[in-house]
Amino acid sequence: MSRRGAELRIGAVSYHPRVVTIWEKFIEHFEHSGVPIDYILYSNYPRLVSAVLDGDVEIGWNTNTAFVELEQQLGEQAPILGMRDIDAEYATVILTRRGEGFEQAGQLSGRRLALGSRDSGHAAILPLYYLRQQGFDAETGCELIRFDTDIGKHGDTGDSELRVVRAIARGEADAGAIGEPTLAAFRGERLAELADIEVSWRSPTYYHCNFTALPTLDRELTQRWSEALLAMSYDDPPMRPAMTLEGVKQWLPGDRSGYEALADAMRQTLP
Amino acid sequence: MTRELDAGALELGGGLEVLLAASIDPMQPGARLLVRTPSRATAYELHGWAHRAGHRAVAERLPDGGPYELEIERGAHRGVLADPLPARASGPKPADGRMRTSELRWQAEVPASTPASCGFAPLGSIPELGAPRFDWTLNDRDTIWADDVAELVDQAGAAQWDAASAVPWDAALELSEFMERAVSQVMTFIAQNEYAALYVPARFLPGVNPAFPEMVMWLSRHVHDEARHIEVFTKRSLIGGQASYSLASTELSLHSLLEEHDFSGCALLLNVLGEGTFLDLLQFVDQHAPDAATRAAAALAHRDEVRHVHFGISHVRRRIALDPAERAALVAVAERRASKLTQMSGLSPLLVEGLTIMAAGSLQPAELSHGADAVKGLMKTMETNRLKRLAAAGFDPQTAQYLSDLHTPNLM
Repeated sequence: MSRRGAELRIGAVSYHPRVVTIWEKFIEHFEHSGVPIDYILYSNYPRLVSAVLDGDVEIGWNTNTAFVELEQQLGEQAPILGMRDIDAEYATVILTRRGEGFEQAGQLSGRRLALGSRDSGHAAILPLYYLRQQGFDAETGCELIRFDTDIGKHGDTGDSELRVVRAIARGEADAGAIGEPTLAAFRGERLAELADIEVSWRSPTYYHCNFTALPTLDRELTQRWSEALLAMSYDDPPMRPAMTLEGVKQWLPGDRSGYEALADAMRQTLP
Repeated sequence: MTRELDAGALELGGGLEVLLAASIDPMQPGARLLVRTPSRATAYELHGWAHRAGHRAVAERLPDGGPYELEIERGAHRGVLADPLPARASGPKPADGRMRTSELRWQAEVPASTPASCGFAPLGSIPELGAPRFDWTLNDRDTIWADDVAELVDQAGAAQWDAASAVPWDAALELSEFMERAVSQVMTFIAQNEYAALYVPARFLPGVNPAFPEMVMWLSRHVHDEARHIEVFTKRSLIGGQASYSLASTELSLHSLLEEHDFSGCALLLNVLGEGTFLDLLQFVDQHAPDAATRAAAALAHRDEVRHVHFGISHVRRRIALDPAERAALVAVAERRASKLTQMSGLSPLLVEGLTIMAAGSLQPAELSHGADAVKGLMKTMETNRLKRLAAAGFDPQTAQYLSDLHTPNLM
């Protein structure tokens, strides 16, 4: 398919080879919807954020961390053009071995807490933030075991979360934070290490990924593109495999209300 | 309306996900399922399960000490991209404890044609959308069908035998040198032909539209029968330690058979004419072979070949009855093949020699004369029976004689 006629360039991060499969299929959808796109892949989110800010792409498919960084660098609000259904109900869970759970955040005191990549909103930044909100500073109250793999990909690969689960299963950590969808995916894959691991704590929900543009992007064009995105259907046979890979069953309109906690956390923890 | 589900001690990863799916999948989009569990950990984890499955967690109750509840709203997507399964109805019925292949069609007739793009959807199943498109080549019932193919499938299934043990192999070990040479040559010749009898149906098999499972099963069993024939006749040719020739004239004949790509054309050339003629050859070997092993091999193979010939006659007769123009097309097939075999003149002398010695039982002149008479009788029998089979397949006597005359001197 020729992409010369693309009206919009979408930037995304290549956290896995399947990203190509996903976007090659999405290209077909937007072509059929009359808003032809092309996609450009970056190896990490800081580079994608720069690409959006520099106008190398019109729209970035950002993690929540990347979105907050983008707005912080931009110094103003950036339009959100859409998100996945699961992005609107994201949560972090803290796992423990069966029978070693806790009721209150403070009961984690003195335990070894495993975290995913330090730039992952769901597996590192937000669990620390929400525990602090609940009156427990895990950075001083716990021995933190960080798995800082795939830095720059904001936890997309799931690798650091798998290491968190393994550390708990092997007794190398007493508790560990991972994304709720990651746990559901690991359960779905019958990950053996999860056999005697359970959820002890669940964070408030927050928003995760979104499509972000600059305020200068033509409003009518962004509107048409958002409509085309929302029209993508999981019941459309050609699109179902790509949507499954992307972890979306329904696209939702953009909404700003679910990023405050992360923005607050990043203001507190990042220089 | 909200349906309630008590999860008991079940956990996610331990069977609860199966109970959840069985409960929520049949529900209407927007309907709600209230899941109750004594485990707070499970209640927490249900959120992730619900979202991953495309549903929404709409309300949560986590009272101290439990039980804990999560209310899940069914998502709008379809689990499988197909119409809902029809309500359970009656299925095919076994008779006398047997489930016959013809019962596959207890509900509907065999379709006249079926889309070339359809997949491996077993009869009665509902294909999910989004599958890749196939491109089968045999999609019309009438180009491949025989009315009794389902029964032939059952017969073939019931008549399988084991070439390793069904033949009294020890009986083949004590033949004299001249007799072993004769038997080995005949066995090699038969095995050589059985290869073609396997390759021809095998080539059609992957083109058959899966909506005709009877044909898939029939061709598979045909192929399997021929594999056993290759096995049994190769083993018999080798067991006496006597090598023999695979003849170029036989190769030429079989090569021309493989050049025919029309299903009905092959049914005529291979099943009716070739395997039909082989029925008489195998019967001759069964009558005259000097040892019980060779006789058993021929008798067992004959039993299988009867089915193959029956299919060929049944198919060609049906084809011609549906479309009389097919008769001329089939004659043209036979003419085309014969034109490639003009350099052949009669059955190979080596084969005639082998059959004659077998029938004679010795090299004594009087017995050899008797053997030669038997082979002449075989040729006559072959022609007589060929004409009968062609008549049964729907050809008038004159055309039958013409087709018989065109038939390869190699017998197959």
